[in-house]
Amino acid sequence: MDEASCLLGGFQGSGVETSMMVLVKALAHAGYSVLAQREYYSNITGRHSYILMRICSSREARSLSYPVHLIAALDSETVFTHAFELTEGGLLVLDRDLFPRKLREVASMEEQLRERLERRLASLGVGDDIESLVEHLASHAGVKVVAFSYRSILSSVGEKRRIPPTQVNRYLSSIIFSAVASLISLKPLYVEQALRSHFKGREELVANNMAVFEEVSARVREAKASLELEQPKLKWERLLVASGNDAVAMGKVAGGLRFQSYYPITPAADESLFLERLSYDESTESLLGPLLVLQVEDEIAAVASAIGAALAGVRSSTTTSGPGFDLMVEGLSYAGMNEVPIVVTYYQRGGPSTGQPTRGSQSDLFNAIFAGHGEFSRVVISSGDHLEAFYDAAEAFNIAEKYQVPVIHLLDKFLANSVTTMPFPDLDKIKVERGNVVAGGEGYKRFSLEALVPPRAFLGDAIFWHTGDEHDEYGRITEDPENREKMYRRRIEKMQLIRDELPRERKLTVQGGSDSNLLLIGWGSVKGVALDALEALEKEGVRGAYVNLKLLWPFPGEEVKKLLSSAEDVIAIEHSYGALVGKLISMELGVKVEKSVVKYTGRPITFDELQPALKKILSGVEKRVVLKHGA
Amino acid sequence: MGLKPQDYRTQLWIDWCPGCGNFGILSSLTLALSELSIDPKKLVLVSGIGCSGKIFQYVNVPGVHNLHGRSIPFATGIKLSNPELTVIVHGGDGDLLGIGAGHFVALGRRNVDVTVILHDNRVYGLTKGQASPTLPYGVKTKALTHPNIHYAVNPIALALASGYTFVARSYALEAKHLKEVIKRAVQHKGSAFVDVLQPCPTFNDVHTPEYYKRITYYLDERDWDPLVRNPDEREAEEKLLKAFKLALEEERLALGVFYQNPHVPTFEERLAERFKTYPRASPATSPIGRESRTLLTPETFQKVFRDYIVETLQGY
Ligand SMILES: Cc1ncc(C[n+]2csc(CCOP(=O)(O)OP(=O)(O)O)c2C)c(N)n1
Ligand code: SF4
Ligand SMILES: [Mg+2]
Repeated sequence: MDEASCLLGGFQGSGVETSMMVLVKALAHAGYSVLAQREYYSNITGRHSYILMRICSSREARSLSYPVHLIAALDSETVFTHAFELTEGGLLVLDRDLFPRKLREVASMEEQLRERLERRLASLGVGDDIESLVEHLASHAGVKVVAFSYRSILSSVGEKRRIPPTQVNRYLSSIIFSAVASLISLKPLYVEQALRSHFKGREELVANNMAVFEEVSARVREAKASLELEQPKLKWERLLVASGNDAVAMGKVAGGLRFQSYYPITPAADESLFLERLSYDESTESLLGPLLVLQVEDEIAAVASAIGAALAGVRSSTTTSGPGFDLMVEGLSYAGMNEVPIVVTYYQRGGPSTGQPTRGSQSDLFNAIFAGHGEFSRVVISSGDHLEAFYDAAEAFNIAEKYQVPVIHLLDKFLANSVTTMPFPDLDKIKVERGNVVAGGEGYKRFSLEALVPPRAFLGDAIFWHTGDEHDEYGRITEDPENREKMYRRRIEKMQLIRDELPRERKLTVQGGSDSNLLLIGWGSVKGVALDALEALEKEGVRGAYVNLKLLWPFPGEEVKKLLSSAEDVIAIEHSYGALVGKLISMELGVKVEKSVVKYTGRPITFDELQPALKKILSGVEKRVVLKHGA
Repeated sequence: MGLKPQDYRTQLWIDWCPGCGNFGILSSLTLALSELSIDPKKLVLVSGIGCSGKIFQYVNVPGVHNLHGRSIPFATGIKLSNPELTVIVHGGDGDLLGIGAGHFVALGRRNVDVTVILHDNRVYGLTKGQASPTLPYGVKTKALTHPNIHYAVNPIALALASGYTFVARSYALEAKHLKEVIKRAVQHKGSAFVDVLQPCPTFNDVHTPEYYKRITYYLDERDWDPLVRNPDEREAEEKLLKAFKLALEEERLALGVFYQNPHVPTFEERLAERFKTYPRASPATSPIGRESRTLLTPETFQKVFRDYIVETLQGY
């Protein structure tokens, strides 16, 4: 096998995330490409969370897929919830002590799922306890069960390493990454290095975890189980292991961010946390200068203080999700009116309202593009993967400053919370272009009507005014109709300038055969899965291309129109109900996009479901497929 | 540098109603600025939405007229980005204590070196006279259909409770007193708050100049000492308690400084403890690129993001 899907599960607070980080780093040391996505509840302790990951030995992991080849379970809820996701002959690692646990005893499981599982077990004639389920899987699906007592591992490690009994439970989650690493036959050195990096050199923790790894490896050997994954053939020496939040934060730093405000919200806050950790690091400060990260009282203050900072001449940004963005909208309209370059990083999650706070969605496309009273120029960009997110986060400041507009960088939870092995960015590509900046001076006109983008001075350099009211060239209130018409037009006509000047690769990228009749179109986190589905279709003789829309607003109509005109089948793919990107195209080009694949369960579109959905559409059976798979 | 009060004024025609208390605030402000002799370019006047907020364009210093209620976070972003600037906020009682009350509290907690001047006319002037958060219960000003059903917030007590380290009250028609108080507020290092009682002859026919003449009195600093002189907690607590007590006096309204504690570190000072170079190098004054290239070289990238970098160990 040259790729595998794995699932690691446990209750929230049990260290599943740590397991993921260590495992991804260990796999990276080995040279594999990995994409790992975290599914979790809006909860701190107790509810079920899991990691779905794809490990590839000869190409970039860019989508997730079921069924899984390996499940490593910390608890019975993981086994019950995901057991049927195992492929024929898959591996199931679990705690032998869980065998007597019954489905109805899993108190944290939601009623709907329990009822579905009860029905399923009953229809298969399988008892509702772990042991019966495991036996069934082994006998009917060829599942290889690797069961050992987790408690005995911990107590033996505890004794060997003299860990106090009250603390030994902390190493529970080490069992699952150890199991996966052992089943893939990762060298212990890789695991050790990953631990050292994760625990930042706290050798005691590294040694304790390695002791768990050794114990677990021994049990895996005893069970004569292994996951036959080919040795990695990818040729890289160094890479980054980063989440989408991390990639954006790094991009912002590269782009010259100096002020970031935020009010905590999932899935955005981790980005600010990253920056906060970094900003007070002395070596960072001496290399880059002060980067102020300010937790404020609400999102209104977040956008307002970011605007204030931008007026003082600072590259500033704020980060949020749907509910917070809604609160920022009045400020956004102010930034439009006063031509203030700010960057709002908008990580979508499941709405409306608090919706599904920790699940993914792309349903805020129109909110990002249209929210705000009055007409003004704004730019909305999106990123198809982690590396794109890095470059785009840096470039967002250039766009904002060159055109003096608010820029919304629209991302989502799937990207934010997935961790991947990311290629090293090419820093030569990062430019810092500040646009029309002047020192002010006598008679300075901040809102000069001479050019579409007026000269920008910073507070402290000159005397000039800002107001959300309509203003004259100096920034003083005036309601004069002629001035109104000129100012209004200048502010809006910038959009055309942006459309004209941005290079094509900032507007969209096309991958696959661009001469083909099939065009998949999407934006953001659907890129990887769309490309994988296309590649699979191509093996079956269907050629197609994927259009990754990067500039969502102003809409790159010319470019999209050209692409659409030569395609027979145009299919929009999106994590939403409405396939909003298709509606956007209709609005801008008057062309109806009638075919779509959508998903709005809050779980990501996976490769295994997208490919057949596309086939269904191509064969004319359906025009619209709604995907639903995934716990 | 010898600037006169009129040098701090623009030539625009002022569109407040005749007799409006805002005129008094404007002239005391420009007097104070000229006496403080601050370089106009290094000042920023941040104002909210309301009759009061229009002050920004009558003062010849950089002005940021922003959203209703949001002057404080605008000012916070400006000040922290460039601590060299002197930042003054002007806002109405609706603006600062109604829609913007959360920010008002937050500023006190932070003690950013910003001065907040409240135009306290007890009504929403610009929207034609509705009750503001400082209008007392049961009072019926001209534009109300019924006597006020809400109780009033006490601006001084709220400021004290929020942590403002300079808290004062003055009166729009007492030019000299107000000028002095504004000067002290601007000179204070930390969040300073001045509650300026302001007649609104158009909509507030209850709290008139006659009313204020009757009800106000000056604090005599020979027997009222608001300044915390020693950095010990005891004196601060004692003076804060006295200030609270005075704030709760409503039969007569004291004019003067209620409380001033210069010993609480400002937000900027606390930042300077974390950043070795702040405020000398501030976000606004430190470079962000080298000749339109990022400051991050491959070497600095490796240093700064070392925790995220993984070397493949194939072959080891
Ligand atoms: C978000 C928002 N809501 C409402 C308004 C309408 N509005 C303009 S001024 C004002 C009240 C002003 O009262 P105050 O702050 O006391 O200022 P004054 O006019 O009395 O000086 C209101 C409600 C607005 N501009 N913005
Ligand atoms: S309405 Fe009141 S506050 Fe507003 S300008 Fe007129 S007098 Fe002044
Ligand atoms: Mg008022």
